[in-house]
Formats: sequence, C-alpha cells, structure tokens
Amino acid sequence: MTEIPQQECRYLCPYCSNVLDSFEDLKTHVLSEHKAESIPTPEGLIRLTVNGQSYEVKVEPEWTLYQLIHDKMGLTGAKMFCDRGACGSCTVIMNARAILSCMTLAIECEGANIETVEGVSATHPQLIEKYAEHHAMQCGYCTPGFVVTAKALLDKNPNPTEQEIREALAGNLCRCGTYPQHPIAVQAFVEDRGSVKDDE
Amino acid sequence: MTNEEITRMEEMFDNLKADKYPLKDYSNIGKRGPRRVDGIQKASGRADYTMDVQLPGMLYMRFLTSPYPHAVIKNVDTTRAAAFPGVRAILRYDDPELPETADLGGHVPQAEIILGRISYFQGQEVGVAVAADTEDIAEQALRLIDVEWEVRPFVLEPEEALKPDAPLANPEIFSFGNHFNELLLGEAFSDIKQGDIKIGFAEADKVIEFRSERRLHTWVGPERPCGVFRWNGDCPEVWVKQQRPHIAKRVISSWFGGTPMNKIHMHCLYQGASFGGWSQVAWNFGGHYCAAMVAKRTGRAIKWTFTRREDFFGGEMDEGTYYLKVGAKKDGIITAVEGKAVLANQQWPVFHFLKHLVENTRIPNIYGKMYVVMTNKGPNVPTRCEQNANTHTQSLVFDHIANALNLDPTEVALKNDGEHGHDMEWLNQKKKERGFEIRDSLKECIEKGKEAIGWDRKWHPPGTRQLPNGRMHGMAFTWAHEWDDSAGSSEMAIRIERNDGTASILGMGCDNGVDAENSYCRIAADEIGMRLEDVYYNPQIDPGFFRMTPDSSTNMSINGFAIRHAARILKQQILEAATGPIAKTQRGSFPPVFPDAKPEDLDIKDSVIFSKKDPSKKISLAEFVGPSRSAGPMTDFENLTDRTVFSAPLFAYGYHVQTGTYSPHHYRPRFCRQAHFMEVEVDTDTGEVVVTKVVNVNDVGKVINRSSCEGQQYGGTYMAVGRGLTEEVVYDPVTGVMLNGNLLDYKIATILDINGPIDTILVETGMGYGPYGVVGIGEDIATVVPALLGPAIYNALGSWIDDFPITPARVLKALGKAS
Repeated sequence: MTEIPQQECRYLCPYCSNVLDSFEDLKTHVLSEHKAESIPTPEGLIRLTVNGQSYEVKVEPEWTLYQLIHDKMGLTGAKMFCDRGACGSCTVIMNARAILSCMTLAIECEGANIETVEGVSATHPQLIEKYAEHHAMQCGYCTPGFVVTAKALLDKNPNPTEQEIREALAGNLCRCGTYPQHPIAVQAFVEDRGSVKDDE
Repeated sequence: MTNEEITRMEEMFDNLKADKYPLKDYSNIGKRGPRRVDGIQKASGRADYTMDVQLPGMLYMRFLTSPYPHAVIKNVDTTRAAAFPGVRAILRYDDPELPETADLGGHVPQAEIILGRISYFQGQEVGVAVAADTEDIAEQALRLIDVEWEVRPFVLEPEEALKPDAPLANPEIFSFGNHFNELLLGEAFSDIKQGDIKIGFAEADKVIEFRSERRLHTWVGPERPCGVFRWNGDCPEVWVKQQRPHIAKRVISSWFGGTPMNKIHMHCLYQGASFGGWSQVAWNFGGHYCAAMVAKRTGRAIKWTFTRREDFFGGEMDEGTYYLKVGAKKDGIITAVEGKAVLANQQWPVFHFLKHLVENTRIPNIYGKMYVVMTNKGPNVPTRCEQNANTHTQSLVFDHIANALNLDPTEVALKNDGEHGHDMEWLNQKKKERGFEIRDSLKECIEKGKEAIGWDRKWHPPGTRQLPNGRMHGMAFTWAHEWDDSAGSSEMAIRIERNDGTASILGMGCDNGVDAENSYCRIAADEIGMRLEDVYYNPQIDPGFFRMTPDSSTNMSINGFAIRHAARILKQQILEAATGPIAKTQRGSFPPVFPDAKPEDLDIKDSVIFSKKDPSKKISLAEFVGPSRSAGPMTDFENLTDRTVFSAPLFAYGYHVQTGTYSPHHYRPRFCRQAHFMEVEVDTDTGEVVVTKVVNVNDVGKVINRSSCEGQQYGGTYMAVGRGLTEEVVYDPVTGVMLNGNLLDYKIATILDINGPIDTILVETGMGYGPYGVVGIGEDIATVVPALLGPAIYNALGSWIDDFPITPARVLKALGKAS
C-alpha cells in the first residue's frame, strides 16, 4: 500500500469540518472547541423506526428506502414492479403517510417511523385474513402494496366508502386485475372491526 | 396394484369423450371459499418470489443492450468496465468458454445464440454480461463498455416489412425476405380454406369490407425476468422465474456436457404474474446459461435480471393489419369470410387469424391468407394468449356484419354457431356420439348475459343515446368458444402424512396466481373424503416430477385427471390398509382396524374412515396412520404389542397425457361457449371512453374453484380494457427506439378504469373433455374482450374505430375533431 506523503495528509474535524494539519492539532481543536458536545453522527448513519423496532443503520447515499428495507433488512414484502414510482407495489407508511419506498432515499429517512406490510400484518391480521378470504390477489406480487395503501387509508378514514377505497388504491397497479376484490376485502375488515369496537 | 382406477387412468389418456366417472356428490368442488391456499402468505408479504432471493456472496448480473434496432458489434472494449470497483466477472461473446451454438434459449428465432454480436431490435441483450456486487454497479459498468457498432437499416411496421424493397429485418435467418411463415412452415400455416368464397359471396345479400389495426402491446409482468443460479459442487441449484420448470430442468441438464437430472435442484417460487411471454419461450434460459457460466467462473451465486424496460420486449402475437370481407344473408346467416392479415414477429406463427371462424362456426366458405413478417421490434410471443388475433377477428367480423344488417348481434351469433361449416344439428350429433348431454351452450350464455346487462331494454341503434351527463351511451356483445383443450402431460401424487393424517399433494409446477393449488386440493379432498383444510399443496417443492403448468393453454383439464386418479387410487389404498393386517413383520402383525370388513364396506368422510353399515365404527385418518414416534417407528421392537402401529406409507400417483387439438390431426369438436357484454360512455369532447358495466358469461363445463373462475373473469376484463383502450408500445420511426418502455407511459388499467360492476356468471353444461366435464377459463376473457371495445364505441358514436387501442386521440379523429 502506498504511503500517503505527509504534506498531502489533512485532518477533518468530525464536528465542524475544519481542516487541521496534524492529528495532534485535531485533538487540541476538538478538546478546546467541542468538548461539551455529544459524539457526532458518522456520515450515512440514520436512525429510524421500522415496524416499531428502532434501527441505527449506515446507508449509502444512493440507496433507496426500498433497498434498505427489502435488501438489507430482509423485509421482502415491499416489491419492485415498475422501478420508478408508477405502480405502488413498494408502498410503505412513513410518518402516517403512504409513500413509495422506491422513490425515497434512505438517507433522508432520519427519524422516520416506517411501517411495512410485515408490520401491518402483525398489527392487522384480520385485514390480511379478509384479503385471503375475498381472493384479493392472484399472483400476489402487487398485493402487499395494496394492503399497505389500504391500511394507510384506514388510519385516516376508518370507515371509507367504496369510492374512497377505489380512489385511495388508484395508484396501485395489478396486472392480474384483482381490483374489484380490494374494496370488498377492506370493507369486510371494517365491518368486523366495527363489531370489535362496539365491544370495547 | 389391482386398483380399478389404474385401468381408468389409461382409458382417459387423450380423452375424446364425456367423463363417465364423475362424483355423485361434491362437498368442496364448485364452492366458493373458505380461502386461498396462498392467501395469507401473499397478503402479508411473506410470499417469496425469485426477485426476493438473496444468497451469501451473491453477485448480480446484467446484460449489454443494443441502442440500435439493427446493428452488428464490430468490436468491444470492456477494459474500463472490468476495472470498475465491484465488478467481479465479464462474459463476452468472444470468450472461448461460450459455445457458438447450443440449446441455450436466446431470443427466438435464434434461440441457440446468447450474447450474440447482432441485435435485431433496440434493447436486445447482446455481446456482454457483467456480474458485480450490486445491480447498480453492474449497470454502471455496462455504461463503461465501449462498443463499435455497424448500424444496419431497419423496418418497424408490418406492412412496410412486406414490401419488396424493405430492409431485411434479419438477413442471417430470413435472407429470402421478411415474410417467412409460408416459406418456412408451408401453406398450411399461412392459408386457411373452407368451401368456396366465390359461391359464398354470390349468395350473400350484403357484403362488407373493412380494415383493422392492432398495434403492438405487451404483457409487462410485475416481477421482472430474472433467475438465480449457483453450483453446489457439481450440482446446479436454480431458482427459476419461469412457468415451465420441467422444461428448464431438462434444458439445464443438457448444458456443459450434461448434468444428470437428479443432481439438479430446482426452485420455482411464486411468480410475479405469468401469462406466457418471456417466461415461456424467449430469453429465459439464456439468462440462466450466462449465470451458470459466471457462477462457475466466480464460485458465487449469480442473480441475473432484466430491467423493467427490457421486459417490454416480447409483445403479443396479434400486432398487425387485418383486411376483412364478410358476406351474409339478410337474416344474418354468414355465407363467406375472406381475410388477409399482415402480422409481425410471431415467434410461433401457427395460429391463423381465421381459425376460430373455421373451427367454431357454421360459416361454409372461408379463405384467409396470413403474412407473418419479421420487423426490428423484438419477438412477439404467445401471451394470454396466442388466440388474440383470432378473437380480434371473430369479434369484429360478427359485430360489423350484424350492424350492417341492422340485426341484433346475439341473434347473428346464434345463427352462425357451429363447427367446421356445420350447423348446430351436426354439432349436437357429435355431442351425443361422445356421450355429452346435448345443451346449447351459447344460447344459455347469451340468455344469462342479456338478462344481467338488460340487453333487450337498453340496446339501441348506433349513435342514438345521449346520457344526461352529455356522454354517448354504447353497448355491445361478443362471443367465442373455449380453447383449453391443448396438449400436455402431468404427474401428481398425494401422500398421507404421519402423525396427523393430513394430505400433501406433490408435483412441481409454477404458481401463476389463479389459485390452481386450491382447485387440486378440492378435487383430492372430495375424492378421498377429506376435509379441505386437511389437504395442502405446495407446488414449489421439486419431488422429481412435474404437473402440467400453464404452458400450452391448458391446465385443469390435464392436472384434474392426474390428481383425481391419484386421489382415487389412494382412497382404495387406505381402505385396503384399513381392512388388512397392519405392520406385518416376521414377528407378527396387528389385526386389521376393521377386521370383518372388505374395502367396499368402508368409506371416508371428513377425514374419518368408517363402516358404511355401522358408522359408529370409525377411525380418523390421523389415528389410522399413527405417529412417527420421536426416535422412529420401530423403537420398541422387543415387545410387539407396545410397538407403534406403523402402517404402510400411503402414497399414490396419477398421471395424464393428451395430444390436444392444436394439431389439426387431433381435433376434438368444442362444445362450450362464452359470451361477453359491455356498456360504455363516450365523451365526444375529450374522446374518453368510460367502461360502466361488463358481463362475462363463461361455460366452464363444471366449476371446480368458483372464486378462481370469477377471478379470471373480472381480472381478464381489466386486462382487456387496458388492451382495448390504452396499451400500445410506441416506437420512434426515425431511430427505431422504443419510447414508452415504462409503466408511466405505457398504461395498463388501474382500479378506476372500469367505473361500474363486472358481473361474473358461470355456466356448467359439463360439455368439456376434462374431468367432471371441465374446460378452462384463464385465457378467455383477457383475449376475447379487448375487441369488444370496438363495437361498444361504435354503438355509442355510430362510427367504427377499428384501430386498437382506441385511445382518446383515435376517438377524436373518428369524430373529425383531431387529425
């Protein structure tokens, strides 16, 4: 390995990005200027919550949120279909909004609260059950995106009309054409949940 | 085995008659629910697809694609790509390890060449494959490849390609010209002839002529084409996104001097839609072959992928221009049809566009000429389905002539229903000879459909009904037969599990989303006498044999026999085991569970074996098969009486084979029909077409899985509406580059694109050749319904738009409001 010539070596302060000439200078600078501050976050490190679990992960600047949750976290329910924000198959809920994880950079998700289909299936097993019961899927590739979008709708509008469900799901593409079953499954879930609510 | 069912199994091969052995009572067959076998997995995101597979150290492989529609690689410099950090291997066309030709699965018609030097369409995978740590790195590295191209002239449009001075689209294979079907396959694949059209047109009271266009469309699978290949020593382990895993395994076994079949470990996970297309005949094996070579070279698992755009190549086989002439009597009896069609790039040019009129109508005089030409747009492959050109023609022929005669199209359909120029009386005789009940399938379908849509109340002369919202109202009808009677073979088995007596169905196959697994579970449950929840089928397991997967337009009519035979043979096995001594060894045996009974004295219901005479004498299947015991079955061998009752394994297989009717030599007359009705509203200011109601009526012979059949109806209707109204792959005529290879610019139907109910009606005449009288349904609706948009819009506006897809621009053009 080639040794770096001393004159080309500079030391970058991790707190304020000041450039120092030697390691000793850097030490002195940090102790005098930043002693009271907490340790700075390394570049690319983000903290976020996914399905209720806290994560601290180092991400590359070009990673999408989809890559982070699907490839790195193994939450493979989010699916890559259109590859450019046209199909809704990679939908996750971020800070209470349904968003497209393929169009969101992971590095911008600092502090975000993310809910994937795996999270939805844990908190809303009856919604999953209604999807299975009402055949609201065929090949199933796009289905998680629909489920997450429906859940985001229900969070905001617990008792949506058929038309409201259709409009909420209008950004989700299904090549098998399972569309008519989705409002049926969602409304069946709402009906059952209604009776549970009454009990509460 | 001395099982009667084995004799019947052989009797049913190439079945030409009505099913003589249906069940008397159906518990699960034909019912809706309780829920899909795969439902929870798919809805919860736990269903894995090949794209989801990640293995330790896995590399990602991508392919160089051609920027030109027709060009030759003169030279390639991969130095910069190879030096790019994260690139692990580069496979080049001139690598010595890449054979010149083999059964590799390149793009048809040159399936034997992968990574060739010549591109015949813009976007074709050529020359180089790069494997890297990530897909992004592979993509970056591809951009660093310096290619010297020799650009050739190209041709894009079918009729242009037919002209004598047109550039040759593929001079290597088709040096004689772009029109190839007749020369390569013979007149039988270009000409269709029945009777004498001269006589037919002379007899006609009315003769009409029209031209129609079907622009290129494609199927766009949600999961991109991909695959994973790794070598475990000398054993390949392969994940295929492929609806024919059995063929994949055979092809892979032929590579590299041969790998024994039993050393190849296949995975066929859930498929992100599978309608034929890429997964069937095109480049799928080519990707695996490159992956296999690079996996060998690097010692790593390789995942190869296409981009979303690359998946747009591989269109439907109905792209082209159709010229049709129809003659009919005043009363609607069609006397002659003459047609010419120029169709593009069909990679399986064997389905004549007038074939349905010959095989399923009484039209006596038909002549058609089909020109299949090569263009520089990529292969068009059979994708839900190869009958597209046929159904396009049939719908337009019938609706045009009915309207020209001012007749109700449902009446015209009924008057011309038949077979090979013969009328219904002749066809009914065939039904009788073959043991079917004589029913008029089309009439039943039409009556049900008319009632559901309110046809008699609402149908009106063209261009006469404006709605209060200002839009024009239109409605239309079309019909077809069902063609799920193709060739195939299937091996399926059922095993009763130890401990709980549940049944596992075996037989690898691809899941194409129709919930077929549930259908086979229903048959097994009803035939054995088990509860549906006790039967499970995971087709992703490779037991070394394969069921028919949807690979030649048939599925249930073949697999249904295989699973039924297996279930009946297994049931007999269970009943024989229950009446005979158990665990017979040299030390003795246990007495039979039903000591004084013969197998025929027993039956099974709800997974319980019982005596027919005294149902209180019973034992559950779980108790009967017994536990496997923690340390194996024979742990207490010293004392026979304490030993686990360990009966013989309960396992049976069934199989079925049929040649089908795609070959003219093996034709079976078809008796089941389908009818479809549609209502639209057309906005004459914007050209927008809003579909407000659809009624699908399908005679499926016998319903096995009701939800599944309905899913094919409304699902197919949505696909059809996209195909009819918006789906068109657009090319730049100047550069030959595909312009809309993405899902923002290529519009498939969304949930809002049908604004009203889709009524799904199933008719059960039992007139299919499959078990219980079934025929298929999966290909029908998406194929038949697109052309229905034409007559529906005609009925709204009073002018024909025979240019599909019927976009708002084409509607406005027809109204004289746009150029």
